[in-house]
Amino acid sequence: MSADVSDLSLVRRVQRGDKGAFDALVLKYQHKLVKLVMRYVRNPAEAEDIAQEAFIKAYRALPQFRGDSAFYTWLYRIAINTAKNAVVSRDRSPIEYDLDRHHSDESYDLQGRMKDSETPEGLVLTDEIRTTVNAAIDALPEDLRTAIVLRELEGLSYEEIAAAMDCPVGTVRSRIFRAREAIDRRLREVFEGGLGRAEELG
Amino acid sequence: MNEELDSQLSAMFDDELPTAECELLARRLSRDEQLKARWGRYAVVGAVIRAERGVRLNAPLAGRISAVLLAEPSLESIPTAALRRPGMRWWQPLAASGLAAGVAAVSVLWLRTQAPVSAPVTAQLAPASGLHVGALLPARAAGSAQGDSYVVPPTPQIVPVVVPSTELANYVVAHSMFSSPVARRNLLSAFMTSEPAAAPPEEAQSDAKKAAR
Repeated sequence: MSADVSDLSLVRRVQRGDKGAFDALVLKYQHKLVKLVMRYVRNPAEAEDIAQEAFIKAYRALPQFRGDSAFYTWLYRIAINTAKNAVVSRDRSPIEYDLDRHHSDESYDLQGRMKDSETPEGLVLTDEIRTTVNAAIDALPEDLRTAIVLRELEGLSYEEIAAAMDCPVGTVRSRIFRAREAIDRRLREVFEGGLGRAEELG
Repeated sequence: MNEELDSQLSAMFDDELPTAECELLARRLSRDEQLKARWGRYAVVGAVIRAERGVRLNAPLAGRISAVLLAEPSLESIPTAALRRPGMRWWQPLAASGLAAGVAAVSVLWLRTQAPVSAPVTAQLAPASGLHVGALLPARAAGSAQGDSYVVPPTPQIVPVVVPSTELANYVVAHSMFSSPVARRNLLSAFMTSEPAAAPPEEAQSDAKKAAR
């Protein structure tokens, strides 16, 4: 299986004028991009603004994207340049993170300070989502949990997971799908309830 | 929702779906809001597992981007001139044409310098041709050296005098786009006036044959 096939299918659709396909790319990479930009700016809301700008720049530059590199690699470069330009123009120094280092107490404090600018209901909902997903993962059968964690945390391909778990690739695909379905059932309730609560608060 | 479809969506999210299925599902994904919402939740699950702290999982980023893009023109409607490769410059086609014209001019000059000395060259080529044939057919060459009529007939001696002019004329006609009409006409008329000069030997030969009869 060649890498980036699904992204490329969506990219080709956008290049043919289908804006809806770009929504799918945004949904897939928005969290990764915000996390990436937060290496350069302190404020999550500002990171979201920069990520938004990077996505829009990417959309406008998409006609020049020929698929020589993976879509996310290309998007990553745009986001980094956008973040650097934002930092320069606002005369702020970037925050250096060591991504390979485990979270220390200090970094947790920093993360806590980052959240200060968020709205209270947004924070509650984010925490609720996190708690729900973690609880759903804990409740999964061992084989489903291992498969989804190897995929999402370690970034292994289905073939590599099949080798690690000593089972066929089709079984890996099924396990990951069932794990996602189980988590999604719980998550859907939070999203629907969260949105309702946000309306009440508004 | 169809379980098979959801299974495909999960595999597509991981870049593990065959290309043909990806194309079909991408089309559906771009139009089906329910499927898109599920796709977005798969991304949230990944973000939580990777413990992406500081990231708002319910951020309205996708909605904001979608709203901005509504005002953007569709990429399909952007004219192809705007998509031209940035390396292409206005002077490149002119330079290519100039280079082609230069090569053509050098070729014409080279052919003209070759034409006057063609007779001696032909004289040198004749034995070489004989050697070549002899090398290809050693038995026949050794057995009947005198009887071989295919070696070099006497008439071709005058042919090379004509051939360069013909080639040159053909060349000038074929590359007429690179020369001015006046220069082309002068060149061709020069060829035509030079043709009769080559003709007398042929006429003389035919007269000699008639006399022999």
